[in-house]
Amino acid sequence: MRILLIEDDRKLAAYVAKGCSEAGHVCDVLASGRQALVQATHEPYDVLVVDRMLPELDGLSLLKAVRAAGVKVPALFLTAIGGVDDRVEGLEAGADDYLVKPFAFSELLARINALGRRPPVQEQRTVLKTADLEVDLIKRTVTRAGTRIDLQPREFSLLEVLMRNEGRVLTRTMLLERVWDFHFDPKTSVVETHISRLRSKIDRPFAVQLLHTIRNTGYSLHAPR
Amino acid sequence: MRRGRAPGLLRSTPFRLALMAATLFIIAFGVAGAVALHSIRADLAEKLDRSISDTYEVMLATYSREDVEDLIGAVNAHALAGRGNSQVFLLTGPDGHVLAGNMSVGLIRPGWATQPGLELGLPGEASYRTFTGESDGYRLTVGKSEAEISEINVIALTSFASAAAIVVVLALTGGAALALSVQRRIQTIASTMDKVSEGALSERIPLSRSGDDIDALSAQVNEALDRLEASFEGMRQVSVDIAHDLKTPLNRLRLVLDEATELQRQNKEVSKLLDEARAESDQINTTFDALLRIAQIESGARKSRFAPVDLGSVIADIGEVYTDVADDEGQSLVTRIAMGPVEVLGDRELLAQLFSNLVENAIRHTPDGTAIEIGVDEWASEAVAWVADNGPGIPSGERDKVLRRLYRLEESRTSPGSGLGLSLVKAVADLHGAALELDDNTPGLRVTLRFSLSRT
Repeated sequence: MRILLIEDDRKLAAYVAKGCSEAGHVCDVLASGRQALVQATHEPYDVLVVDRMLPELDGLSLLKAVRAAGVKVPALFLTAIGGVDDRVEGLEAGADDYLVKPFAFSELLARINALGRRPPVQEQRTVLKTADLEVDLIKRTVTRAGTRIDLQPREFSLLEVLMRNEGRVLTRTMLLERVWDFHFDPKTSVVETHISRLRSKIDRPFAVQLLHTIRNTGYSLHAPR
Repeated sequence: MRRGRAPGLLRSTPFRLALMAATLFIIAFGVAGAVALHSIRADLAEKLDRSISDTYEVMLATYSREDVEDLIGAVNAHALAGRGNSQVFLLTGPDGHVLAGNMSVGLIRPGWATQPGLELGLPGEASYRTFTGESDGYRLTVGKSEAEISEINVIALTSFASAAAIVVVLALTGGAALALSVQRRIQTIASTMDKVSEGALSERIPLSRSGDDIDALSAQVNEALDRLEASFEGMRQVSVDIAHDLKTPLNRLRLVLDEATELQRQNKEVSKLLDEARAESDQINTTFDALLRIAQIESGARKSRFAPVDLGSVIADIGEVYTDVADDEGQSLVTRIAMGPVEVLGDRELLAQLFSNLVENAIRHTPDGTAIEIGVDEWASEAVAWVADNGPGIPSGERDKVLRRLYRLEESRTSPGSGLGLSLVKAVADLHGAALELDDNTPGLRVTLRFSLSRT
């Protein structure tokens, strides 16, 4: 994927660029918002990563200008204060996702991957399938190998998010935001508890494991490779 | 620094008001006096005229066509009886000769006239009121001195003037005295504010106990100063806390990294130490983020995003999320929701975080087997929400302190946590105007929040 990172902290930018290229992406780095506006509107990128605080043209105005120019490339917004007004402002300016500094690189990479491979038009599938696991979003039913599985509503939405992102890593924070709408970090094992309940229902009784824990990063649901 | 200098007495508002009141009073006094004087004068003049015309009638009655002698006699008798020059009479015949009387012919006009004594050939400065009538060529003039009236005039005027002088002096000195006392109080307020602006935030305006408007205003200013002092103290406390609670883990982080460097030099395994370093930096970040959040919540900016929120659904969500978590930790969580929506005006995300913090506190600080309850109900036009447990609770002396930033009970110092959970709860509760109470659940802790219901 081709990524444009707009970040004025050189150390951080170099670190992220190095990590991205190790993960097989191409990462261009710009330190100025004004330059970035020209670049982002003239070059095709798969993902923009925009810092909130930038010299000359700040991240919010840059995003607004990029969107006003009709560029629909997915954008990830980096902010220093999470969960409060900065996040809402970023999303309102046209960001597709946000990440609070300081972040773990694995978190950033997971989010870039989720954004970059996001289908251009969200297809409205009503039945999700991974291997022999099937989720019917209309009937709200789950079956695996023909066996009906009963899930709590929260477990169902957790499974739905995992299946919609089949094969991608979803971090603990991403799950908290998407499943629980929690934009803060709980001190207890909310995610772990529900993942383990879900796992005991959809994986444990079966021979093949579909829900995988990615150490220090998050979770991923996929068919055996 | 610009200092509020006290204005001179003449420019002070109270003195100007006193002066204005005195002026109005004097004008009113003057008008009333003029009206009274005028009516007294009119009354005296009317009495004088009546007595003149009475005398004239009496004299004329003594005259008959054939005999003028009686009239002459009567005039002379009256003229003699008239004390000094206070009454004057004159009778002239058809040929203009003086027949009787005690004044010279002078300039006598027919009918009513008011003339100075000189014109009538009389001594003294008094003027005279005269009536002159004619019958068969005989002319009779009856007159009376106005000296008495002018004497009364003078008395009235002088007494009025001295009364007015007393009023003016009283109004001005009273006004000045009042103004001075009010100005002294204003001066006290000004000097208090000067001290406050120089940093003495504990200064307060002394109240006079009279309960007047200045006292009411001063009390309001004092209240605002209380809040200012509290928030300033809060900020100062935070910097001290940050210094302690962030620098301590930063210091630990530094030590861990030093150790890792050292081990690396000896070609030993460092990944365990690096994990430790990561956990340490995550903890620093969590604390810092929580402090920023609380500061942002306390600034009140989020109030602009307030909307009606069903507390029942917020608490149902939290209950649902944490029931399994509590189960896994060996505790139980029960959710009790009122029938029907319990609507309050607020920020759903912050309210969710508030109740999540309370439930997490209960889960983390109570032993296995503890029963936790979260619930909401409508009670006396209030929305009452609670999180209660039957764990060890908080000693009554510590309950206020746990709401403070970064305060942690000695017992919980070793368990992970920023010490900011409850102060965030308090900040969110304050933002929503909700009362936050920590009580003994005999045994355990009971946290109650009282919101006012939103009226739609």
